[in-house]
Amino acid sequence: MRAVIDNDYLTMLSRLVVGGMFIYASFYKIIEPASFAKSIWYYHMVPGSLINLMALILPWLEFLCGIGLIVGVLYRGAALWLNALLVIFIVALASTIVRGIDIDCGCFKAAESATDSAWSSLIRNIVLLVLGVQMLLSRSQRWQLMKDRTVPG
Amino acid sequence: MMIKQALLLLALAVILGLGVNLVSPNAVDYIGKYRDISSGDGPIVPPTAMEGDPAFIDVNVAQMEHAAGQAIFVDAREEYEFHCGTIPGSVNLPFEYLPDENFAGYIDSALGYPDKDTPIIVFCSGEECDLSLHLARNLQDLGYTNPAIFFGGAREWQNMGFEMEVSPECGQ
Repeated sequence: MRAVIDNDYLTMLSRLVVGGMFIYASFYKIIEPASFAKSIWYYHMVPGSLINLMALILPWLEFLCGIGLIVGVLYRGAALWLNALLVIFIVALASTIVRGIDIDCGCFKAAESATDSAWSSLIRNIVLLVLGVQMLLSRSQRWQLMKDRTVPG
Repeated sequence: MMIKQALLLLALAVILGLGVNLVSPNAVDYIGKYRDISSGDGPIVPPTAMEGDPAFIDVNVAQMEHAAGQAIFVDAREEYEFHCGTIPGSVNLPFEYLPDENFAGYIDSALGYPDKDTPIIVFCSGEECDLSLHLARNLQDLGYTNPAIFFGGAREWQNMGFEMEVSPECGQ
């Protein structure tokens, strides 16, 4: 099991998939913060006064972590953030399903018409989280610009 | 190490997010003024609302207007949604399927050629849906002087326990 988790190629694949997905997802949100704010508002989970701040900061965090993951800079911190975000997204999506709120997830194109159901978004996020956890646990440091000396092996 | 890196990334994101907003053409207020949904504290106004938009009304005003019977209620959702539960007496103008040709004529005809100052209350599903906002803006552009948006939509109406109209065509 350890050998699989630490596999250089699998780790790189996870970095590319998860990092790439977050970079792609951040573009529209960075360009259109008002639309992304509305997507956050739909979830009914964030206090009104914090919605715009979250809409401004979160996409940049996704972008920076995505870049960090792919090029291997601040890698551990980036992996931690993206896993934490995925857990938050999964909880938020699951709560909308439970509460029967029909939303566009706001994952990619913020506040567009609902082309992406909450269920498919939820499944995608769970798959990404599996890759994310592998990435976080992996001791592979191959193809990373900034090596982490605290990781054994 | 990991936590330090995570905090550094967050700090960079805060600086970039707040900084870019200073120069962005799509800038937003740092502190949003959003009403909590279903707080009963006035109408639901979406973040995408702009100055000059038609008025937003809450479910109580919508209900009063409905009881008064003067306003035209317009359901901007798709036909199947309209058939399966709408505010009684509403006209269906499915925003996403409105014709490009003779748009004004189509709207006037669908509404029954009302006076331009007739109150028109536009709604769709609820707060996740923008169709009512877009349609009400179009009505304003067409010269209607009294459109209003009931952004709580069919769902809030139903949640309040008000009567819903279901057509026999529902599910067909």
